[in-house]
Amino acid sequence: MINRMILQNIFHRPIRTAVSILAVAIEVGMVLLVVGLTSGLVHDTAKRVEGVGADILVQPPGASLFFGLSQAPMPIKIGDRLAEIPRVLAVSPALFQFHSSGGLNIIYGIDLDSFDKVGGGFVYHSGGPFEQPFDILVDDWYAKANQVKVGRTLTFLNHDFRVTGIVEHGKGSRLFIPLKTAQDLANAQDRASIFFVKCSDPAYTDQVVEGIHKLLPRYQVLSVREYMSMMTSNNLPFLPAFINVMIGVAVVIGFLVIFLSMYTTITERTREIGILKSLGASKTYIVEAILREASLMALIGILSGYAGTLITRKLILKSFPTLSVDLTFEWALWAALLAIAGTLIGAFYPALRAAQLDPVDALAYE
Amino acid sequence: MEPIIATQNLKKVYRLGKVDVPALRGVDLVVQEGEFLAVVGPSGCGKSTLLHILGGLTGPTSGSVLVDGNDFCTMTDGDRTRFRRHKIGFVFQRFNLLPTLTARQNIHIAQDIQGNGFNPHRFDMVVDMLGIREKLNHKPFAMSGGEQQRVAIARAVICEPKILLADEPTGNLDTENSQIVLNMMRMLNRSFRQTILMITHNPEAAAVSDRVVRMRDGRVVSD
Repeated sequence: MINRMILQNIFHRPIRTAVSILAVAIEVGMVLLVVGLTSGLVHDTAKRVEGVGADILVQPPGASLFFGLSQAPMPIKIGDRLAEIPRVLAVSPALFQFHSSGGLNIIYGIDLDSFDKVGGGFVYHSGGPFEQPFDILVDDWYAKANQVKVGRTLTFLNHDFRVTGIVEHGKGSRLFIPLKTAQDLANAQDRASIFFVKCSDPAYTDQVVEGIHKLLPRYQVLSVREYMSMMTSNNLPFLPAFINVMIGVAVVIGFLVIFLSMYTTITERTREIGILKSLGASKTYIVEAILREASLMALIGILSGYAGTLITRKLILKSFPTLSVDLTFEWALWAALLAIAGTLIGAFYPALRAAQLDPVDALAYE
Repeated sequence: MEPIIATQNLKKVYRLGKVDVPALRGVDLVVQEGEFLAVVGPSGCGKSTLLHILGGLTGPTSGSVLVDGNDFCTMTDGDRTRFRRHKIGFVFQRFNLLPTLTARQNIHIAQDIQGNGFNPHRFDMVVDMLGIREKLNHKPFAMSGGEQQRVAIARAVICEPKILLADEPTGNLDTENSQIVLNMMRMLNRSFRQTILMITHNPEAAAVSDRVVRMRDGRVVSD
């Protein structure tokens, strides 16, 4: 019976109910999309680095896991010394250029020959390798997102580049220019941001890492396996704080809307609460009825939030094909738990207030 | 035989701001089980306050109140709520049906709150006695005042309370519906020995009862 009363109450004020459900849905959607976008970005970056084909990454001391943030290039001659380490098959230097105009892009300046040796070479969807210093390769996702075709001119780093090839995505970056050009533009001649090291057999990775540590004790040497395990949102500077703040904002929005909604509900239903009390309803009965009503709205809000998130994800991927949004069951559960907790906390004070109403005053309420 | 209601020197003082307003100034009242009692008196004489105290909706300031052997002065708010749930039925002037529920649901909710589950036999008997079967699926706004009050009586008696407390039950009804409601209360009293304490301004309503108690200025002035 109490459930029927709750249902009737929910339908009695459809706009207020819809606003409450929407607030919970936004809360759930915000949590899932913020986490999904950040972890999608991190996973996508990690997967692309893995896709280069190297077994080991060598970076200067104090370098970031996010390559675009590393601005301390190393002498390129280090590559020759790395190549001399036993079990090293190939070494490829790369210089990163961060380009923020028209979107955030990390451009890899690469030596095409050694890059191909490390990763087995690009798969060209159309066109072919660099021919001139100001040639550029773009991956198929970038090409699709920006309607780029071979022969088109793109402007990066205040220079025009001619697209000579469109390559399969997943090889570190979405944009590649010749290493020499990148060095000239960065005024970092004979320097590199990273060395991709390929072992003769992946089984020798730890042995080679040890060898590099001996050769370059202060440098950051990571096996790709290790790098992949470290590339989580929690290991990146500021990202966990950003995610927590966004989740906090989402939870507060849900909490406040439910609080206000239930508070006005209680005020409006003061007389009805008095009637229930005259029938002998206990404080627990009244608190339970209000919390159940809020929980039902939260449940509908959570399901709406899931649906909204899936739709928004589709729209994001359609509008920005280079982005990825990772939606996980774990975070779907967390978002639901946060929404339910926020709802129950938001509804608790109004419920308590309703339970404590004086029945005589409540019955006299106009 | 033990009276079902016995009050002695019952006082109730409300505090409005810094002013104490006495509503009951020492009420002595005894009601036997199965009695139909009418309490009459001018507005503000304390009739409703007496009814609220006897129904456990509010506590007295001093004096003693024994209802079905339970001393309300020593009971907590929770105890009085439990007592009300099982022993008291209320009928109000403004019907006080839950507006979002149908007549059937309004009656069911009393059983739900009592916690003894749905009793179809009792339900059918009460519904037929009060002649509201055809209105069971109607919400309060789709019923006349008389029909609403009959549903309210059904809700009040569905759990077989020891005492039915009626606060101006005909106050919002026309003569015809008032008569119907009063007849039903009379029938409940005669058929089931339902103890009824009814507050009214209406001398015709009071005439239906077995006994009339007059109040003035917070006291019983004639019995």
